[in-house]
Amino acid sequence: MLYGLVDANAFYVSCERSFQPRLEDKPVIVLSNHDGCIVARSDEAKALGIKMSKPLFEYKELIEANNVQVFSSNYALYADMSRRLMSTLTHFVDDVEVYSVDEAFILADGYEGIYPSVRGLGESIRQTVAQWLRIPVSVGFGPTKTLAKVANKLAKKQLELTGVCVLDTQEAIDQALDQFPVGDLWGIGGRYTGMLKGNGVETAAQLRDLPDDWIRQFMTVNGLRLVHELRGTPCKMLELSQPAKKSICAEPGFGTLVPDLETLTDALTSHLSRCCEKLRKQDSLCGAVTVYLKTNKFRKTPGNGLPAKPYYKSITVELPHPTNSTPDLLKYAISGLKAIFAFGYNYQKIGVMLTDLVPFDYRQKGVFVEGPNEKMLQLFTVVDRLNRRYGQDKLRLASQQYNPDWPMKQKYLSPRYTTRWEDILEAK
Amino acid sequence: MIEPEDRIAAQDVFRALVQRKYAIPFLMDYVQAGFPSPAENYIERVLSLDDLCIYHPEATYFIRVGSDSMIGDRIDRGDFLLWDAYYCSPEVTHGKIVVVQLGEDFAVKRINYVDSNQLILESSNPKYLPIYVNKGDKFKVCGRVTFAFQKLI
Repeated sequence: MLYGLVDANAFYVSCERSFQPRLEDKPVIVLSNHDGCIVARSDEAKALGIKMSKPLFEYKELIEANNVQVFSSNYALYADMSRRLMSTLTHFVDDVEVYSVDEAFILADGYEGIYPSVRGLGESIRQTVAQWLRIPVSVGFGPTKTLAKVANKLAKKQLELTGVCVLDTQEAIDQALDQFPVGDLWGIGGRYTGMLKGNGVETAAQLRDLPDDWIRQFMTVNGLRLVHELRGTPCKMLELSQPAKKSICAEPGFGTLVPDLETLTDALTSHLSRCCEKLRKQDSLCGAVTVYLKTNKFRKTPGNGLPAKPYYKSITVELPHPTNSTPDLLKYAISGLKAIFAFGYNYQKIGVMLTDLVPFDYRQKGVFVEGPNEKMLQLFTVVDRLNRRYGQDKLRLASQQYNPDWPMKQKYLSPRYTTRWEDILEAK
Repeated sequence: MIEPEDRIAAQDVFRALVQRKYAIPFLMDYVQAGFPSPAENYIERVLSLDDLCIYHPEATYFIRVGSDSMIGDRIDRGDFLLWDAYYCSPEVTHGKIVVVQLGEDFAVKRINYVDSNQLILESSNPKYLPIYVNKGDKFKVCGRVTFAFQKLI
């Protein structure tokens, strides 16, 4: 078995560069929803010391002094480029698991007749993606998915590998794991890193050599799976058709702080509409809705500089019958919001999560309650279709547009080169 | 299994992509033993411009023409072009109309390779002088122009 991981380098930045050659060799960053935090950085921006997930304003001076190019997230463009990337990979191998917007696992067995070497396969992929999409990718190969991830990290880090790293011999794997920091492993979060370091485990090789019992005791069965993968036994298989999501959530932050219930309700309506669209897209119904409210826990009170009192509360409302109609769900979500809303706080986030998802046809008539309104279910498939054709939110609930202030702030949005006629490239 | 001897170049191996699904008419009727329906032989699917124009969906992009420099090739300002990044090597682009990255801009020109150190980008409007590109210049061939679209109404 040989797994490969193809991962685009600084994908969002690379997409912007693909259509704007002037950005090459310059520091570039891309911001999250509402232009809040930094979600992608070019190497040049990393070299300036710009960190991931930090808010834009922290680097205001640095950005001006170094002429850092700033972009809002152009999801239309990134989604199209992602589609092209994944489709390109299917030209090389049969089995492609789209793992995220910018990375995919592939199964690299059985192509010995076509590609002279595994390295050659990796190089062909790199070269083709560079030519067709004008974005750089790194390719890592290993006998398990976890080792392919390790190989991919090395391919990115070690320049002499020119973007392709193959770990197909025990020596190569041992050598890689000996120096690989345990915290960089796939599935090892900050908490486990601290625990492992406290026990003197610094490298991936040290973790691999720990006894099974110890790992099961302190890191659950998932940790054990990870260690088996490091030893070369595949535990995570390629997921070729993605299972339907078990829960759907949305919690974009506000651009500003929000104190009043009215704006929160509008935001909730919008988030919920988006979630319901996703729900209907995967043909599911949801049986419970969770709403939560958050203040910024690092906020200082402006007058005295003391930390402001934080507030976090969530509530789950179970529905009498599963549904996917927006107004139906909204009724329950709003009553939940009213129950947890507290006056006097400046809220930073309102989140909504849909859980207890069941397939659309898996419906049961209740004994004491009526089922979901069939007409409503049908109505919203039509609404979705219209919105897909005429643009997002062309048809929406009235409360969704109450406050024109709050929808996505995208001050630095680049043209949608591949999805809008008015935005396509222009030849000089 | 593919034989190692007649090795096909990797970039020429394509997998059939199920991008588009066509409804195939199914006649829910008994086949007549006598004279068959004369229309039966004429069932076809609807024509699609994508089928005609897009050879490599992953590598094909649109570009709008911003000048009259290619007017001699009947490509005018405001026209839409399709270009395919699959074709960018000198062998398949020599003498052809290409999209290039020249400095910080994209341009549409006819390309002529002089030798390994120099190439010329020619416009087809006599108003514009040819552009000489030398080794080391910031320059890249992005792909070949495959189709031009012009509005006639």
